[in-house]
Amino acid sequence: MKTFFNILICSFIILGCSSSGSNSDDDVSTNNGSDNISSGTTFQRSELLANWSDNIIIPAYQSLTEALDNLNTSFVLFSNDTSESNLVALRTAWIEAYFVWQRVSMFEIGPAENIDYRLNMNIFPADTAQINANVNIGNADLSLPSNRDAKGFPALDYLLNGLADTDASIVARFTSATDGGNLLNYTERLILDMQSLTNQVLTQWTGVFRDQFVANDGSSSTASVDRYINDYIFYYERFFRAGKVGIPAGVFSGSTRPQNLEALHIGTLSNDLFFEALDAIQDFFNGVAFNTSSNGIGLDDYLNSTNNNELTTLINSQYNTARNAFLGLNSFQVELENTVPTSLLEAYDEIQRVIPLIKVDMLSALNINVDFQDADGD
Amino acid sequence: MKLIKNTMKPITQFFALTFTILMLNSCSTDDDDSSISLPDAPNFEVPTSYTFERSGQSTVNFPGQTQRILMGEELINAFLDFNDTALEETLANMFANENAPFQNQELNASSRQIRNTLADSEDFFLNNNAEAAILRAQFDSYISNQATIVQPNINTAASPGQAGQIADGTNTRYVSGQGLEFNQLFTKGLVGGLMLDQIVNNYVSASLLDAGDNRETNDNQVPRNANGTDTQMEHNWDEAYGYLYGVSPNQATPNTTIGDDDNFLNRYTGLVDRDPDFNGIANDIFQAFLTGRAAISQSQYEIRDAQAEIIRERLSTVIAIRAVFYLQQGRSALELPTPDFGAAFHDISEGLGFIVSLQFTRQPNSTQPYFTRSEVDTFIDMVLGDGNNGLWDVTPQTLNTVSEAIASPFNFTVSQAGDSN
Repeated sequence: MKTFFNILICSFIILGCSSSGSNSDDDVSTNNGSDNISSGTTFQRSELLANWSDNIIIPAYQSLTEALDNLNTSFVLFSNDTSESNLVALRTAWIEAYFVWQRVSMFEIGPAENIDYRLNMNIFPADTAQINANVNIGNADLSLPSNRDAKGFPALDYLLNGLADTDASIVARFTSATDGGNLLNYTERLILDMQSLTNQVLTQWTGVFRDQFVANDGSSSTASVDRYINDYIFYYERFFRAGKVGIPAGVFSGSTRPQNLEALHIGTLSNDLFFEALDAIQDFFNGVAFNTSSNGIGLDDYLNSTNNNELTTLINSQYNTARNAFLGLNSFQVELENTVPTSLLEAYDEIQRVIPLIKVDMLSALNINVDFQDADGD
Repeated sequence: MKLIKNTMKPITQFFALTFTILMLNSCSTDDDDSSISLPDAPNFEVPTSYTFERSGQSTVNFPGQTQRILMGEELINAFLDFNDTALEETLANMFANENAPFQNQELNASSRQIRNTLADSEDFFLNNNAEAAILRAQFDSYISNQATIVQPNINTAASPGQAGQIADGTNTRYVSGQGLEFNQLFTKGLVGGLMLDQIVNNYVSASLLDAGDNRETNDNQVPRNANGTDTQMEHNWDEAYGYLYGVSPNQATPNTTIGDDDNFLNRYTGLVDRDPDFNGIANDIFQAFLTGRAAISQSQYEIRDAQAEIIRERLSTVIAIRAVFYLQQGRSALELPTPDFGAAFHDISEGLGFIVSLQFTRQPNSTQPYFTRSEVDTFIDMVLGDGNNGLWDVTPQTLNTVSEAIASPFNFTVSQAGDSN
């Protein structure tokens, strides 16, 4: 592990050096505009990309790989000795992996995008009828698109938490003579599928993709920074704002949909996953290295280099306001017991208020175009 | 201004009438009509909602149109019911309303059906039975292909030449080896083949409205049967209205929910209207239906016919915009760094369905569609012809070429139609 990080650090330094000597196409001049303060500094997009790759994205994938390995280890114990205490341990490993997932999900670019990684890992709500059918079939083809909502974290939520009301009853399901073996078999296949998908993504990042990603440091619509900032905003709008809160709260449907919560079958976990995801989003904005408080080059620095320090402050402040709004809430399940979940909707408005700041003001300041639009619905 | 009959070219006449009616509407709040000089219609009035009564009884009804839309809804849902081991039979029964195939018993009890009303308009198909038969067989083939090509492969991943399933975001699409979704071809083709054709080439046509002694009975307000007070001509116009607004919860003021009422012409008129480039088109269409119906009840046949031309032009435009929209959406999906084939196949299949519908459009003041069947078939051949495997091989260039060709006779650009903003 240590060696690996040394290599990363070395490559970071080498890249930093090489790009500073490269031609001006790679540099984004900041002293443009009529009111420039002639600071004369230039922002190196390659350094931003290197920090993202080496200190945030790849470490997050590595951490998820480890968490899924632990999940698999816990499953083997549970499979050999299907007891309540081993169920609790397995569930804990699942929760730990689900937390790390919140720091990975936003990176749907390159290797992840190529395999629709996010949609293979975390479509919710899970289709429990499909899961039950697959359990009975035994060898369902998990690579088929029609099985995407029957696998990943939400399917494990159903199997580990939703099969019955109590741990004793859940264990009884896994030990039943009729389908206990099939349930164990399907659970194992889901974990192996998640490991396999994650390994595919990580292997490509640590292989050729990292260097391609960092080298594509121009400022066109196909450059890494332009593309990834769009993916970041898309994730924020669609999967964070709408997926975790807006859809369950009924923002888009007019009535609440508690059945659409991310961790449907386990208490307050939906809230905890929400906070982890929000932290991940804000940490990414500030370039904070994975699992540390080490603040590297991020979008905040990029904005500041274009004399938009005020916008940086506004964005961080709105992320904090949103977090505080949610800290005052009960669990999402409890909030959604109200026909009109007013408090939740007010908190939702605070995460909504981030969007004009990052999608309009930030993109305008960085001269980046939006490359996605709202789908038409059918 | 004066209307001089038979001395203006049709298009001039059309604009003159439209202008006169606009003036009439703008002045309709005036109680005295002396400011309006329309020799043929000094007292012409248009209500604000589609509400028409005689002797205290509504004269508006169109149950047959509502029923056919509902039959269509059940049919297009059943297309994806792959658990049905007799899928082809089920769909064919729904298409022709045979053997009580519907959940809704009222539909089973009805003598009406979709299949024999498809490609059945007075103006286009009365003397063209061969073409009607070919078109109905084409829709039959979408059904049989769904059952024989797609259904056996639903648990196979689609690939070039191989039917199966393919991801489109969180959705799963079921396609042929060419990437075609037959349910989309059927649904979007039906928008033209049933709803549009019945409106623009049938029920708003003078050939039907003025058939037999319709003018005389309409002038004398003779009910078409003993059950109601509406004349045959009024009923025909209402039947046109029903194909667009027949399942609206607000049938007198249908634009309050347009786009949300069905999955056919209402749906796409509403979606086009939501694009800022075309906002107002739904109002144009409704006003034309409303004015035309008022004109019939007041025996103002020139005004009626001018509204029919507006309806033809506007509804035909809706179809063309939607065809271009989906081809362009498909092109965007193919041009992503990693081509999104699932999204593209879905969009382009919808676009091809609207292309099928183009042959049922109607150029105003003519007896012609904007595109003939042969032109439509050429477009389809082009989209499927870039390689051996249909949509797997289609190029952005071909999609642009076909889009441009579709837009060219209309008053919109490909880029206006190509997105929803």
